[in-house]
Amino acid sequence: MSAALESTPRITSWRETYRQLLRAAGAHAASLRTSLIALALAAVVQGLALASIVPLFSSIQTATNTGDILTWLVIMTLLMVLATLLRWRAQNFEFNGELAAVNHTLRTRLGEQLRRMPLERLQDKRTGEMTELLLGNVDENLNYSLMIIDLIMVAVLTPLATALALLAVDWRLGLALLLIFPIIVPLYRWRRPAFSRDKRSLAEAHAGTSADILEYTQGLPALRASRAAGEKAERLHTGFEELERIQAVSHRKSAGPNGVVSGVVEVGLLLILASGVAWVVSGTLNVAVLAAVFVIVARFSEPLSTFVMYTSMLELIEAALERIEALLAIPPLPQIEPCARPDHHEVHFEHVTFRYAQADTPSLRDFSATLPARGLTALVGPSGSGKTTLARLLMRHADPQEGYVAIGGVDVRAIRPDELNAMISVVFQDVYLFDDTVLANIRMARPEATDTEVEAAARAAHCLDFIGRLPMGWHTRLGDIGSRLSGGERQRVSIARALLKDAPIVILDEPTAALDTESEVAVQRAIDALVRDKTVIVIAHRLSTIAGADRILVIEDGRLVEQGRHDELLARAGRYRASWDAQLAVKAWRPGTADADVRA
Amino acid sequence: MSNLTLTEKSTAKIAPAPADADAWTIMDPVRGRIRIAMTLAVSSAVLGLATMGFLALTVRDLLESPGAWPWSAMLGALICTVSAYLLRLAAFNESHFAAFRLETLLRSDLSRHLAQVPMGYIQAVGAGALAKVMHDDVKALHVFVADSTPLHARAYAVPAITFLVLLTLDWRLALAAAAVLALGFGVMILAMRNRAEMVQLYNEARERVGTAVVDFVQAMPVVRTFDSGTATFGRYRNALREYLEVLTRWYREAGFPMRFSMAVLNPMPTLAVLLWLGAWLTWRDSLPFAQWLAVLLIGTGMAEAMMPLIALKHLVDKTQLSIARIQEVLSAPVLPEPDRERMPTDASVRFESVGFRYGEMDGDALSDISFAVAPGSVVALVGPSGAGKSTVAKLIPRFWDVSTGRILVGGVDVREMSTETLMSQVAFVFQDTFLFSGSIADNIRLGLPDAGMDAVSAAAGAAQAHDFIMSLPQGYDTQVGERGLFLSGGQRQRITIARAILQDRPILVLDEATAYADPENEAALVTALSELMRSKTVIMVAHRLATIRDADQILVFEHGRLVETGRHETLLARAGIYARLWRKYEQAQDWALCGRHPTCEQPQPESR
Repeated sequence: MSAALESTPRITSWRETYRQLLRAAGAHAASLRTSLIALALAAVVQGLALASIVPLFSSIQTATNTGDILTWLVIMTLLMVLATLLRWRAQNFEFNGELAAVNHTLRTRLGEQLRRMPLERLQDKRTGEMTELLLGNVDENLNYSLMIIDLIMVAVLTPLATALALLAVDWRLGLALLLIFPIIVPLYRWRRPAFSRDKRSLAEAHAGTSADILEYTQGLPALRASRAAGEKAERLHTGFEELERIQAVSHRKSAGPNGVVSGVVEVGLLLILASGVAWVVSGTLNVAVLAAVFVIVARFSEPLSTFVMYTSMLELIEAALERIEALLAIPPLPQIEPCARPDHHEVHFEHVTFRYAQADTPSLRDFSATLPARGLTALVGPSGSGKTTLARLLMRHADPQEGYVAIGGVDVRAIRPDELNAMISVVFQDVYLFDDTVLANIRMARPEATDTEVEAAARAAHCLDFIGRLPMGWHTRLGDIGSRLSGGERQRVSIARALLKDAPIVILDEPTAALDTESEVAVQRAIDALVRDKTVIVIAHRLSTIAGADRILVIEDGRLVEQGRHDELLARAGRYRASWDAQLAVKAWRPGTADADVRA
Repeated sequence: MSNLTLTEKSTAKIAPAPADADAWTIMDPVRGRIRIAMTLAVSSAVLGLATMGFLALTVRDLLESPGAWPWSAMLGALICTVSAYLLRLAAFNESHFAAFRLETLLRSDLSRHLAQVPMGYIQAVGAGALAKVMHDDVKALHVFVADSTPLHARAYAVPAITFLVLLTLDWRLALAAAAVLALGFGVMILAMRNRAEMVQLYNEARERVGTAVVDFVQAMPVVRTFDSGTATFGRYRNALREYLEVLTRWYREAGFPMRFSMAVLNPMPTLAVLLWLGAWLTWRDSLPFAQWLAVLLIGTGMAEAMMPLIALKHLVDKTQLSIARIQEVLSAPVLPEPDRERMPTDASVRFESVGFRYGEMDGDALSDISFAVAPGSVVALVGPSGAGKSTVAKLIPRFWDVSTGRILVGGVDVREMSTETLMSQVAFVFQDTFLFSGSIADNIRLGLPDAGMDAVSAAAGAAQAHDFIMSLPQGYDTQVGERGLFLSGGQRQRITIARAILQDRPILVLDEATAYADPENEAALVTALSELMRSKTVIMVAHRLATIRDADQILVFEHGRLVETGRHETLLARAGIYARLWRKYEQAQDWALCGRHPTCEQPQPESR
C-alpha cells in the first residue's frame, strides 16, 4: 500500500530540490555541482550550435564563398563536440562510480539512523515502507536525476540559448522564440497543483482497494468456507470498478492540462513559422534564415512535448529526497547529562503517563510502581491494558510524556543507551531469528563469548538435542531451515541468547503463549534457568504461572488497579480474584458433555 | 519476507524476468485497445513527418516564387500538425484507459483464481504477499501498458518509415543517417552484451540488501537488546558493499560503450553528418535545397523517436518482475472440480489410507491414516507439534488434496463433490479469526446474506456474543474489521463462532479454536463452543488436553502417523504417547515462576 508514500506531495521549488540533491550527495556535493553545471553548459552550447545553422544556410544560399560555408560548418561541429564533451564530463559523476558511492554512503547513514532513532518511531513505519525508502528511494534520488535534469535542461536552456543568439540575426525571430519557450515553465507550474490534487484522490482510492484486497486474501479461508469468495466477493469487484472510474476521472483531469501545455507549444511554433513566412513574403527576412529556423524549431518540439513526462519523474525524485531527509531528521531520544550508572536493579515507574504517537488516548496513566531487585514481578491484565508498554518504556523504545522510569534509582534517560541495552534481556512471544548460523544467532548476545560459554547457554536452554539433529549442527543457517524449527525450538534459541547475555534484568513477554504442550515444558525449564537471581518482569495470561511472584501488578486501562502477592490479592476479592476464578472454571471444561455449565 | 518470489520464502531466488514477448502477453485482455492506441500513435508520428514535408515545401515555394504566400503548403502543415496532435492525445488516452481496464480485469482474474487454488498454496505464499501482487504489482504495470506502448510503436515505426522517405529524397543522405544510427546501436549492443548476467547479479545483490533491511527493521527490538546492532548492521553493510561492487563492475564494463552510444544516438551527431554531407552535395548542385531541408527536418527524428523509450526503460524493466509475479500466481494450478458430482448421504467423515506430502521433494507429512468418525460424535486430534494433526484437519476442506488414499464425507470422496457441496457440509473455526470490514451483523451472516436479524441475534446469543454486541454503541450495526472497532481476540472468536452456528452445517472442524483468548474471554468462548458443537459431528485439534478429555474418540498422531486411538481413560492406561503428553500437559499447567517468597516451591527441573 502506498497511501503514506503518495499522499499530497508538497510542492518544492526547484531551488530547494537542488539543495536537497546536494545535501544527499554529502561529501560528493562539489563534484555533483560541477556535473550539473557541465550539463547546463552543454545545453547552452548545444543551443549555440543550433543557432549557427542560420549563418550556415545564409552562406549556402548566397553561395558566394565556400570558405564561409566551411567556417560555419566547422564552428557548428566544434560547438556540438564541445556540448558532447561537457555532457561526457558531467556523466563522469555517474560512470566513475561517484554516484554509486553517494548512494552507498546515504544507505549507510540511513542504516545508522535506524539504529539511533527511537524504536517507537521506527515501529510506526511499515517494513515495506522502510525497504522502499532504503532501496528504491535512494536510487530514485540520484540515479535518474542526472538523466532527467539533462533532459529538462535540453528542453529549457537549449531553446533559450538559441533564441538569444537569434536576436543578433533577426530580433523579431529571436523575440518570438523567447516569448514562446519560457512560457512552458509557468504553464508547468500551473498544471502541477491540479496534478497533485488528483494524485491525492487517486492515492486514497488505491489505499482503499489495497485494504480491500488484503482483507480478501487474509479472509479467503473464511470466505471460501462461507461460500463467499471469487465471483461472490461483490464488495471487492465493486471496489475495482470504482477504482477504475476514479482513475479515469483523474486521468482526464490531468490529461487536460498536459494537453494544453503541449498544445500551446505546438501552436506557438506554428505561429512563429507563419510570421517567418510573412516576413519572407514581405521581403524583410531571408528565406535561408527561415529554413534554418525550421530546422532548429524541429529540434525543439520533441524535447518540449516530452518535457511534461520528465517533470513527473522529477516529482518522484523530489518525493524521494523529502522522505530521506525526513527520516534522517528524526532525533534520537534525548540523553540526560551527566550519565550515571545504577548500582542495583530495582525498577521504578514514577507517575508515568504515556501515549503512543498515533493513539488518541494514553496507554499508561499516572502509573507508579516499584519492581523489587532480584525479585519476580508479574504484570497482569487484559490485552491492551498497557503491560507491554511498561516493558517498552523500561527498554526506552520511547520516553513517557510525564513521569519517568528508573533503574536502581537512576532515570533511564541518564543511562547510556548501550549500557541500558546491556542491562536487559527480553524473551518475546514472537521469536526473531536471523538468516545466519545457529551459533551466530546465539552468540550475537555476547560476541566475545567462548564456544564453551555458548554451549553452556544452549545446554541450559535445552537446545543441544535439536541442534545435534540439524543437518550441519551448530553451523546450520537458520534462514534455510527456519521454518523447520518448531516454535518451541525457536523460543529456546532465543532463551539461550538471553542466557548468554546474562543481563541483570529479564523481561518475559508471554514466552510460552504460542507453544504446544511438549515445547512448553522444555521452554519452561529453559526459563527457570534464565531467571535465577535476576530482576524478572513477566507478562503472562495463565495466572497459575505467576502465582509465586513476589509482586503482582494488576493493570487495567493503563492504570495500576491492584498490587500485592497472590494470596493477598485473592483475599481482596477484586479484579485478580475474578480472573483467577474464571481460569479455574475453564480448566474444568468438559466439551464432551456439551450441556455442562462452565461457569459453575 | 522476500518481495521477489512468492513460494519459497526462505530460499528466495529471483524469478527470471520474462522475455519481452512473455511480458506482452499480460496485456492480452486489452490487446485490441492497445493495438488501437499503437496504431493511433504511429499515425500521429507519420502526420508529424508529413508536417515536416510541408514545411520543406513551404520553403521550396518561397524560393521558387518569392513574394507569394505558399498557402497550400502552409495549410498542409497546419492540418498535419493539428491532426498529429489530436491523434497523439487519442493514443495517449486510449492506452491509459486500456491500462486502467487491464488493472480491473487482472485483479478480478486474480481474485477468482485465488478462490479456486488450494488453500495450502495461499498459506504457503502468504495473504500479504498475494495482496501485494493483486494491488502493487498490478498497479506497477501502468507505466508499461499506458506509457510505453505508444512509445514502443513509435520507436519501431518511425525510424523505418523515416528511412524509406529519406531513400526517396536522397539515398546518399539516407544511408549516412542510417550509418550513424547503426554505429550507435552497434556500440549499445556491445554495452548490453553481458546485460542478462549483470541484471541477475544486480537483482541478487539488491535482494540481499532488501533482506538485510527487513532483518534490520523487523528485528530492531531484538537487535537493540542483544547486539546494539553490531552483527545485524554488519550484515547490512556487507550487503551494501556487495551491491556497490556489482554496480562498480557494471559501470566499469559497460560504462564506455554505454556513454558512447548515448552520445551518438543523440540527434545532434546525425544532424551534423547530414549538414556536412548535404552542404557538400548542395554545393556540387546535385541536391536541391528544399530536398536537403526535408532530409534535415525528418532525418534527425530517427534517433529521437527511440530516446523516450530508452528513458522509460528502467521503469519498464521494473515492471518485468511484477509481471512475472502476476503470471506466477495466475498459473498456480486450481483444485480440480468433478464433472459429475455425488451428494453426501450423512454427516460422517472417513479417512482411508490417506498419505500426504506438501511437495514432490518433501517427506510424507501423513502416511497411511485411516479412521472413521460417526455422525454426531466428537473426535479429538492430539500429538506433538508437527505430528500432522492440523494437516488432517485441513485436508477435509481440501486445503490440499491427498497424495494417496481418500477422504470421504458422508460416504463420498471429497474430490467427487463440488466445492459448494463440500462447504455446505462442513463449517470451520480456525485459531486466526477473520472479520471483514462491515457491520457485526454482516460478519455473522457471511455467506448467508438473506439471514434475518432474528436468526443472527439468536446465533450470537448462543455464541455468548449477544451481550457484548448490545453493549457496543451501534449494536449489531457496529463496524468492525481492520478499519473498524477494536475487539479482543476472544470477542472476535465468538463472532466467528456465531457465524458457524448460523451456517448450521452438520460437520464441524475446530483448529485450536481457543488458542488466543485471554482468561475471562476463555470462559465465554468454551460455552459458545459447547453450543456450536451440539449434535454435530466434530473434529477438533487441541493442544490443551483438558478440553478433549471427554471426546468420544481421541486420535494420537506422531510423525505423520496415527499411533493411538481410544478414549481418555483407555489411552492413559496404555501408558503410551498419549499418557506422556498428558503428563507433560499437567506439568506445564503447574509451572510457576518463583520469587523470593519462602512458601513458593521451586519446581525441580527434571534431569535429562
